[in-house]
Amino acid sequence: MTGPLVVAAAVVAIALAPLVASTYHVLLMLPFMAYAVVLLGLNLLLGYAGLVSFGHALFIGIGAYTGAFLTSHFKIRSLEVILIAAAALGALVAAPVGALCVRYVKIYFGMLTLAFGMVFYTFVLKFYRLTGGDEGTPFLRPSLLGRSLEAMPKTDYLVGPYYYYSLGVVVVATLCMWRIVHSPFGLCLKTIRDNPAKAETLGIGVTRFRFHAFVISAVYAAVGGALLGPPIGNVDPTLAYWTHSGNIVFMTLLGGFTSFFGPVVGAFVFIYLQNWVMSVVPYWRLIFGAILAAIVIFAPGGLLGLVRPGRAAVRAAGRRGAGAPPAESRP
Amino acid sequence: MLTVHEIDVFIQASHILRRVSLEVGAREVVCLVGRNGAGKSTTLRTIMGYLRPRSGRVELRGQPIQGRRTHEIAALGLGWAPEDSGIFTDLTVAENIEIATWTRRGGRPAAERLDLAYGVFPVLRRYMTRKGPEMSGGERKMLSIARALALDPEMLLLDEPFEGLSPTIIPSVSDGIAQITRLGHAVLLAESNIHHVPEYTTRLYVIERGEIVFAGTLDDAWRDATVLRIIGGTR
Repeated sequence: MTGPLVVAAAVVAIALAPLVASTYHVLLMLPFMAYAVVLLGLNLLLGYAGLVSFGHALFIGIGAYTGAFLTSHFKIRSLEVILIAAAALGALVAAPVGALCVRYVKIYFGMLTLAFGMVFYTFVLKFYRLTGGDEGTPFLRPSLLGRSLEAMPKTDYLVGPYYYYSLGVVVVATLCMWRIVHSPFGLCLKTIRDNPAKAETLGIGVTRFRFHAFVISAVYAAVGGALLGPPIGNVDPTLAYWTHSGNIVFMTLLGGFTSFFGPVVGAFVFIYLQNWVMSVVPYWRLIFGAILAAIVIFAPGGLLGLVRPGRAAVRAAGRRGAGAPPAESRP
Repeated sequence: MLTVHEIDVFIQASHILRRVSLEVGAREVVCLVGRNGAGKSTTLRTIMGYLRPRSGRVELRGQPIQGRRTHEIAALGLGWAPEDSGIFTDLTVAENIEIATWTRRGGRPAAERLDLAYGVFPVLRRYMTRKGPEMSGGERKMLSIARALALDPEMLLLDEPFEGLSPTIIPSVSDGIAQITRLGHAVLLAESNIHHVPEYTTRLYVIERGEIVFAGTLDDAWRDATVLRIIGGTR
């Protein structure tokens, strides 16, 4: 099994990055880790339940604004409290939104989530007195594990304690999601994606399972959204705009929604590629549009999909030789 | 166990089933025989809750189930092996079978249900880590029946279990079904070929153009000229 080794190596590499990489690149890792959490959740919905949401920036916005409100208006600086509040609010908003959306599938589901996302965007944009409108709300520096860290220079704080705190959140979120998708619940979601009508004949309440997947993905998006705030220091409505929802779907496709870690890889590649392309040409959206088209046409399985068929073939050969097939086929 | 009482089923404007009634008692094996398009699948799909009868009743253990959701009906103890097998191709054989032990709780413990399912079709044990695309039609059919069995149902609905199978695999499928009936499950089996109707069948219904035209034993059916005209010549 090379899978766990690769994952462990990746975590070690991320942990060591601040020691070797430039501060600039280390700072880019912060949005990557926040998006990693968002995408783990989004992929439960997209990859496992087969529902494409174009409104998850709504929940990123909920998480980010929760942090901004708590630090700016309520003098609550503890990041633990912020993350728990973001998760709770994400679930609270996702419950009614999800209950409506999961009654529909395919394009209707996508359009409905898009509509809810736009309602929220307009709300935070127009309720100036509450949200600061297009100027946004400051996300003051949160304390970590009860330590204020207010005296630290901002960069030292971000590449030091905050970096490792984010990494910790990503690891915990990954372990939880791994448990979820490998539980009976995760397996039921896959049957629903495969064939909802037949899943029903096994006693699976399709709508209820989709609803649970929706709420879990919203909680992940809210937690990831809260993590996005501190590096920016200010939360504004663009976080909740529909193009942001589009970006995270793009990240998922880029990395490959058919594998567990595909979307996380997609987030990493997206952020560093965007950063590089923007430094070379001003029209990064043009380039990214072409990349998206190429991915959909030539590599529907995403970047990890390009790696995996080779491995599958190697395994199949081993299976024929040894007679005893390996137990786990998804990495 | 199951009573279907004078159901009328429409698909859009077409009147598909006309006052269809049938009965399956506990531990009985009942066959619904008819030509393609006669209404066998529609009857089974109506029982499973995919279609709603416009009038009439469907009762499971005396409890009306018409109009309930499919997953609720499954959870009440009706296992279903559809005509197209309907296995989940992204899942392995083992996962396909295991899933039913989680979706319906209570009754026998999971390990016992799995033993039952694999016991009926032992060949599936060899394919546990295979996925749908690597399986033949006969293996899919067996998996479909084994999966329904893992739900620990009181009764099984089997829609044309021999349809499209190679003659070499038909005996293992029919042995499996015979074993299921010996385990005490009630079975309602839809079949288009009277030569496939197992000899231990308790009762046989013949359906033609959405109406039940014969009800009786297999021996009576062989002596009935109308029945033979409808379904006897498909060998």
